[in-house]
Amino acid sequence: MKRPILLVVLVVVAAVVAGACGRSEPTGSQLTVAMMPKNKGNPYFVSCRKGAEEAAAELGVKLLWDGPTETDPAKQNEVVEAWITRGVDAVAVSVENKEAISTVLRKARTRGIKVLTWDADAEKDARDFFVNQATPEGIAAVLLAHTARIMGGKGSFAIVTASLTAANQNEWIKHIREELATRYPDLRLVDIRPSDDDRKRAFDETQTLLKVHPDVKVVMAIASPAVPGAAEAVKQSGRTDVKVTGLGLPNASRPYLKDGVLDSVVLWNTMDLGYLTLRAAFALVKGSLKAGDKTFAAGRLQTLAVDGDAILLGTPFTFTKANVDQCDF
Amino acid sequence: MGLALVALVVFLAFRAPGFFAPGNLRDLLVSNAPVLVASIGMTLVILARQIDISIGSQFAIGGVVAGLLAKAGLPMPAVATGTVAAGAFLGALNGALVAGLGLPSIVVTLATMVLLRETLRWATEGVWVENLPAGFQWFGLGQGPGRVAVILASLLAFAAFAWALRHVAAGRAVYATGSEPEVAHLVGVRPRRVVFGVFVSLGALTGLAALLTAIQFIDVQTNAGVGLEMKVIAAVVVGGTAISGGRGTLVGTLLGVALLGAIGPALTFLGTEAYWERALEGLVILLAVAAEAFGRRRK
Amino acid sequence: MRVADHRFRFLSHEALLGAFVLAEVAYFGVRGVNFFTVGNVFEVARASVEIGLLALGLTAVILTGGIDLSVGSLLGLSAVLMGAAERSLGLPVSLACLAGVTVGVLGGALNALLVARFDIPPLIVTLGTFSLFRGLAEGWTGGVRNYTNFPESFLFLGQGRLPGGPPPQLVLFLVAALFFWLLLHHTAVGRGLRAIGFSPQGARHAGIPVRRRLALVYLLSGLMSGLAAVVYAARLGQAKADAGSGFELFAITAVVLGGTSIFGGRGTVHGTLLGLAAVAVLQNGLRLADLPAELAGLFTGVLLIAALALGRLVSRRSHE
Repeated sequence: MKRPILLVVLVVVAAVVAGACGRSEPTGSQLTVAMMPKNKGNPYFVSCRKGAEEAAAELGVKLLWDGPTETDPAKQNEVVEAWITRGVDAVAVSVENKEAISTVLRKARTRGIKVLTWDADAEKDARDFFVNQATPEGIAAVLLAHTARIMGGKGSFAIVTASLTAANQNEWIKHIREELATRYPDLRLVDIRPSDDDRKRAFDETQTLLKVHPDVKVVMAIASPAVPGAAEAVKQSGRTDVKVTGLGLPNASRPYLKDGVLDSVVLWNTMDLGYLTLRAAFALVKGSLKAGDKTFAAGRLQTLAVDGDAILLGTPFTFTKANVDQCDF
Repeated sequence: MGLALVALVVFLAFRAPGFFAPGNLRDLLVSNAPVLVASIGMTLVILARQIDISIGSQFAIGGVVAGLLAKAGLPMPAVATGTVAAGAFLGALNGALVAGLGLPSIVVTLATMVLLRETLRWATEGVWVENLPAGFQWFGLGQGPGRVAVILASLLAFAAFAWALRHVAAGRAVYATGSEPEVAHLVGVRPRRVVFGVFVSLGALTGLAALLTAIQFIDVQTNAGVGLEMKVIAAVVVGGTAISGGRGTLVGTLLGVALLGAIGPALTFLGTEAYWERALEGLVILLAVAAEAFGRRRK
Repeated sequence: MRVADHRFRFLSHEALLGAFVLAEVAYFGVRGVNFFTVGNVFEVARASVEIGLLALGLTAVILTGGIDLSVGSLLGLSAVLMGAAERSLGLPVSLACLAGVTVGVLGGALNALLVARFDIPPLIVTLGTFSLFRGLAEGWTGGVRNYTNFPESFLFLGQGRLPGGPPPQLVLFLVAALFFWLLLHHTAVGRGLRAIGFSPQGARHAGIPVRRRLALVYLLSGLMSGLAAVVYAARLGQAKADAGSGFELFAITAVVLGGTSIFGGRGTVHGTLLGLAAVAVLQNGLRLADLPAELAGLFTGVLLIAALALGRLVSRRSHE
């Protein structure tokens, strides 16, 4: 009768010892900044991480990088909760769901944790600053400008998006529709197809699109796996009168930019984004960045403008055949 | 279910004849070839009264293996063999746990699904396998012959397994294992071996499916195949294979793959908004299985 | 032989799982930062309520030898329609919640109809409804519409704290757990469910109204999805078509980990609760120990297999 209890006690003691061995000793005055991408498995965020790690090494900051492994609307909240429990100096989140995350971010602020958003914003009162690489309006404007240029100002185009519920993409589509009504009356958006972040799906959808809507001359792929998927589909169809543009990563886009199927890819320097975010988080904690500042000195990025509560990385950058070799991610 | 297909075909012929353009049909064949190949394996598994919900993760690993082998400089035949072998190995893992330890397949494959995918994510961090040698896409055959190769490979696999299921002892053993495992023993069938075998077959076929998908592109996405298991199981079940084992045909599976594979493109041709696609897919599945249930009751 | 039985009774699945959870807690209590605090315990509980509700319903379903893959999708549909009721129709929030729960029950009714009445295997039915429910949610919202700005009183349910610290939804969960515990362990209905899982034919011969019982479990499962949807919307403050994606796998894992046999006939509510705890603690502990999230998936997979294998070994031994 007594043996099982003894066994349980033994197991528990063993667990405690194992835990104690694994525990890393806290290094006194080292700051901890916790950064979260929308999902860890996306190469876009992998490159942001590189930039953040660069800044962390420069500043002697401990960087915690974690987040959902899939785009899960609820998981981000749980991760931030865990960080609040653990106790970190600053939290920086690339927001998947604006309304959902704001509650837990506000909670973090009440606990004295500095809160930043980057890449995608939360509600204004939920964070101290937003590190913005480009506004949704700005992104929509550049995408449409390329589309219009390729088609000479008039014609039909289609969009291949991430998933139908993806918040960022839906925001861009909303602004695209607005701009179409006001600035581009001669452009027609024919259809929007989801890729669910799967390259093959983007390929299949584009293939079908080209046949169903032969008048479409531009495919706008606004998710990083969708760009090579759509480009490959256009290439394989032999339709040299159709071009692809969109938002994606340089490495996957390079071959298609080089052979002309892909006209242009809008992005920004994701490593710089990660770098800037970490630097800003550090400055916030130290007090060198505060509300009302008009500029921010961001290490190797020099001085950047601060617009209210948004730190601007710059404007969206367009990769073309000419400059795509400059970047590697 | 054959009726459903005919109905769809007729409907499309009227409303969207463009669907039947040879270019579109060919593209649909190429696009669905991998699903067909995986569905062959799943049919075997379900016939043997088991199930495997981890094939999506196996598929993802298969693609990555293909890419890495090609990058390592191996010639394409070796890449192909290696990928299929890797798939077979993963299938063997499932098979060992189910047949060897007697664990329920749905839970085992739930565990391996999560395990494999998360391990892959951890190892690759989502970075695609890029800079593959030029001979990777279409096996180096070029687009035209490459497409033919993909279609042929899938049809050959189909024909081979369809014939084997009927005419080879191992094939009949699958049916025996699925319908009456206790009796199967008496006629010299070893249910455990059969179960192990079907999981290995599914793994190998999933590897083949991953290969056939990967070579259509110039790089490999490292988290491909999400949701593949649902798609494949739906196709097999809609095609008439009983989930309780022992009953079903590969021809039925072929029709199931065709029907479910046609829905998406058909809806695009018909001008339906993308956000109704999943609901219609679910409806088709329910209608197909309900119709079958009714049909069986009548008998 | 009797001695052997006696000894191995302590190696019951639930006991082993309980010991494992204790070990986890001990390990992370030391390795993680602030793991073993009241605040953390409540937060882990808060995040687990929705899955927990689904797992309770699934326990009853799996006990009968069935399965319900549609619970996550039904959560999404219920959440979205509840949001629509509150925001678009302007219904008072309590009525909207009722609407959401009703949608859950209706979804469960569809599953019940196809499984209990038309004898279609539950795996296939719920595979179909898994797509259908999610698809309806996507169709209704166009993928885009996100219902937010719920009243504060409603959000308190999901985000607030009762005096003493526990999250309000925990109360709902405990009531539901009690209900299922009573139902499955202390009523004839519960015994009937086990019998059905063991042998539907045998149960029929014993006079159990099999069809009605099956219909009941799928209706209950739908009800749980509806309740979980309300809690989800309150906790996250939004209702979108992708609500609940992936929840079904997590819930099934918790149930099976807890010792409920996937073939039916054997299972307990406390087992499910332990299974839930095991996975929730694992996830939370890893985060607080600064370990990567992928490890959670890895360990959960290994844990599941280990639990199955162990269960197999124990049941083999105790039959000697």
